[in-house]
Amino acid sequence: MRRYLTLYWYFLLQRFKILLEYRANFMIGASSTIILQIAGLLTIWVVMGQIPDLNGWGFDEVLLVYGLITLAKSINHMFADNLWTIGWSYVRSGQFDRFLVRPIDPLFHLLADRFCHDGIGNFLVGAALVAKSTASLGIAWTPFNALYLAVAVLSGGAIFIALNLITATSVFWITESIPVTQVIFNTHEFAQYPLTIYHRGIQILLTWVLPYGLASFYPASFLLGREVGALAWLSPVVALALLVIAFRVWLFGLRHYSGTGS
Amino acid sequence: MPIIQAENLSKVFRIPHKDPGVAGAFKAVLRPRFEDKVAVNGISFSVEPGEIVGYIGVNGAGKSTTIKMLTGILMPTRGNVQVLGRDPHRQRVANARDIGVVFGQRSQLWWDLAFIESLNLVAKIYEVPPARYKQLLDQFAETLELGELLRVPIRNMSLGQKMRAELAATLIHAPRIVYLDEPTIGLDLIVKERIREFIKQQNRAAGTTVILTTHDLGDIEELCPRVIIIDAGALIYDGPISTIKARFGKYREITFETLGDASACAVPPGAEIVGAEPRKLTLRFDRTLTTASQVAQAVMNAIEVKDFSLAEPDLASVIKQIYGGALREPVTP
Amino acid sequence: MMQALRRRIKVYGAFAAMAPKDYFAYTAWVWVEFIAQFLTMTIFVHFWRAVYANTSTLNGLNLPQTLNYIMLAQVLAPLVQTRTIFQFGFLIQNGQMAIELLRPVDFQARVLVDTLGWLGMYALLKTPLLLIAVILFGLQLPTSPAVWLAFGILLVLGRAVVFYFDWIFACLAFYTTETWGLSVVRVGVATFFSGILIPIAMMPGWLQQLAGAMPFAQAIYVPTSLLSGIASLADAPRVLLIQLGWLIALAILSRAVFNVAIRKVTVQGG
Repeated sequence: MRRYLTLYWYFLLQRFKILLEYRANFMIGASSTIILQIAGLLTIWVVMGQIPDLNGWGFDEVLLVYGLITLAKSINHMFADNLWTIGWSYVRSGQFDRFLVRPIDPLFHLLADRFCHDGIGNFLVGAALVAKSTASLGIAWTPFNALYLAVAVLSGGAIFIALNLITATSVFWITESIPVTQVIFNTHEFAQYPLTIYHRGIQILLTWVLPYGLASFYPASFLLGREVGALAWLSPVVALALLVIAFRVWLFGLRHYSGTGS
Repeated sequence: MPIIQAENLSKVFRIPHKDPGVAGAFKAVLRPRFEDKVAVNGISFSVEPGEIVGYIGVNGAGKSTTIKMLTGILMPTRGNVQVLGRDPHRQRVANARDIGVVFGQRSQLWWDLAFIESLNLVAKIYEVPPARYKQLLDQFAETLELGELLRVPIRNMSLGQKMRAELAATLIHAPRIVYLDEPTIGLDLIVKERIREFIKQQNRAAGTTVILTTHDLGDIEELCPRVIIIDAGALIYDGPISTIKARFGKYREITFETLGDASACAVPPGAEIVGAEPRKLTLRFDRTLTTASQVAQAVMNAIEVKDFSLAEPDLASVIKQIYGGALREPVTP
Repeated sequence: MMQALRRRIKVYGAFAAMAPKDYFAYTAWVWVEFIAQFLTMTIFVHFWRAVYANTSTLNGLNLPQTLNYIMLAQVLAPLVQTRTIFQFGFLIQNGQMAIELLRPVDFQARVLVDTLGWLGMYALLKTPLLLIAVILFGLQLPTSPAVWLAFGILLVLGRAVVFYFDWIFACLAFYTTETWGLSVVRVGVATFFSGILIPIAMMPGWLQQLAGAMPFAQAIYVPTSLLSGIASLADAPRVLLIQLGWLIALAILSRAVFNVAIRKVTVQGG
């Protein structure tokens, strides 16, 4: 464990040295996601300015939901972006074989290989939204609330990563996993808004099947004092379980790969 | 005690069979059918520590599949492989510490960074102790003339410089076995020489075992006392390079430039036609059956010869003959 | 949705728009885009229903009008979420640009024809999406052939306007290698100011002015307003004239800018 943390640090340093070689690219990449987020936020701002509330949720309350999902997504974006590009830049190019002749775990190697700076923009937007909304809503940053938020965001990030890992594993059968990943990943956009605006079936989907709701709606509800029962505490449990399942699926895919070489 | 031992090693791929078109795609999903493709078929060999072995075959013969099984990337379908006493697939990580792999033109170096940055990180991945790392670095800096290259980003290197850098990165953890896939491809002669020299030196000084796949027969002639030839997944030759040369070296080729029509000439006994053009005739003859002067005499008696030349077959033509079916049964050295 | 097609184009972008014929090779992407559009449409329908829960009109638009507009805009969205600059970067970096410029047929004209020709295929591909919207979410489509005809003209012209704008913006690729980040910015701006997310009429004055100063609305807001019933057919000639103004101005400008920019390629010998 300690060895992997140290190694991750060295990979990260290596990545930043590359990014410093291309400073302008770094700035454009990191800020491009901010612009993309502003488009969605302007919509909420314009619409919410004309109505008192969205299904009982005020402007700042919606921003909190939106901010939490953005933070969780940014963790996935920064630390696990290679799950998107595994087919194109690793498996089909043969670079994945390199990971298999090195004395470290291939999944670790894949994730550590590229920290994605574009995610920084998402992180900043998410953090700003959470800071702004909690301040406006008078949610105090007590140690308990801070810890709860941290756990919620990390669990949310883990849910994103686990689902992407499962879909990325399809690469070992179909050599390009982006379409599969894209379809599952897109459903997270439901969780940018309070789940109560949706049909019951969609709520169940976003809670129990593709639990992106656990990254935004339920933690936000808890912080706002809205009754969601045990679901307020479920994120870390589900995240952990999902990670274990995802890693199993990944190992299964890896065995298939060593059986076929793709 | 062999360092690599392969017994009856086979790899069969199951390839999904797809009919063309949308209907075919649907069928492939609903009722998938598979075809078996035998990439490697019952290969056995063993390699002793410190050997340099040339592993050759045409594209698609099963070379890289074998290498992938030896390095632990692929699991054999049948048979058994032991590298340093381990199963390279099941004990992949332990095996990885002891081997180094150069994958053709696929680099393991960070394109945008100074070479030394790549080396540092590779050393960290392999947990090379700092003192040992420094010692090896100094040694490579000298033997591969890397000194001035350490600060150069890979993207600014020439092909030859890149390969030197690649070799250094592959050997920086002092692996006991290295697998080199086409290490000299695309390089000019001087750089090739230098790289071969380095491989030889590494083998002699550190006792590193080398498995080399290449299309460059110069590599084989200079580096490999022993070659393993595979064709269509099966081993067709395993033995010293000298046996092959001796066996096929009994043939000579003689080429005549003629004034008259060469195709009219009768073939002298003990010789056969390799190529015939209106003004050019190439014959191959068996030295144990006839002599160059007898063949030349016979031809000159038949037609007017302007010039002629005699060639000793190089390994390239030997290999060509072997692939062409001259070695239907394995030769025992 | 804004990030939805991001990866697809990152990998195949260079092919997708430059040669729509090849697009069918990537059937999977057609499905992904389809599903992504359907998901986003579902989100938007629920979102707007919640918005209208306590009010019958917003800026003069009632719920059916807004839903009509939002669903149709969603169907058309990929048409303005283009990444020409990234494709330019791709062509320049692999040396293909120099080859394109050497061909006897005008490069820009060829890509324009491809782009507009693709609209026909696009209509065919998205018809099922329209049907789903009609069945599931009560989308109402006009019956008057005149409206459909006017819509078609406005859409083609609007797409051409965006094409010429993209051509100018893409020339930045001759001066920087970070074309991916710039294309993300371009998609983000276009997604909002084309009116995909909200009808421009609902925006506050200053945002409406900004949207009017950009070309993107010509390809989404203008044709969609007509087809969804927000704008009347009587208004069509006026907006058509405005579109033509945009078209001529950007067409001329795009050729001038491109001719300056390609000196970078020709000077360096490609």
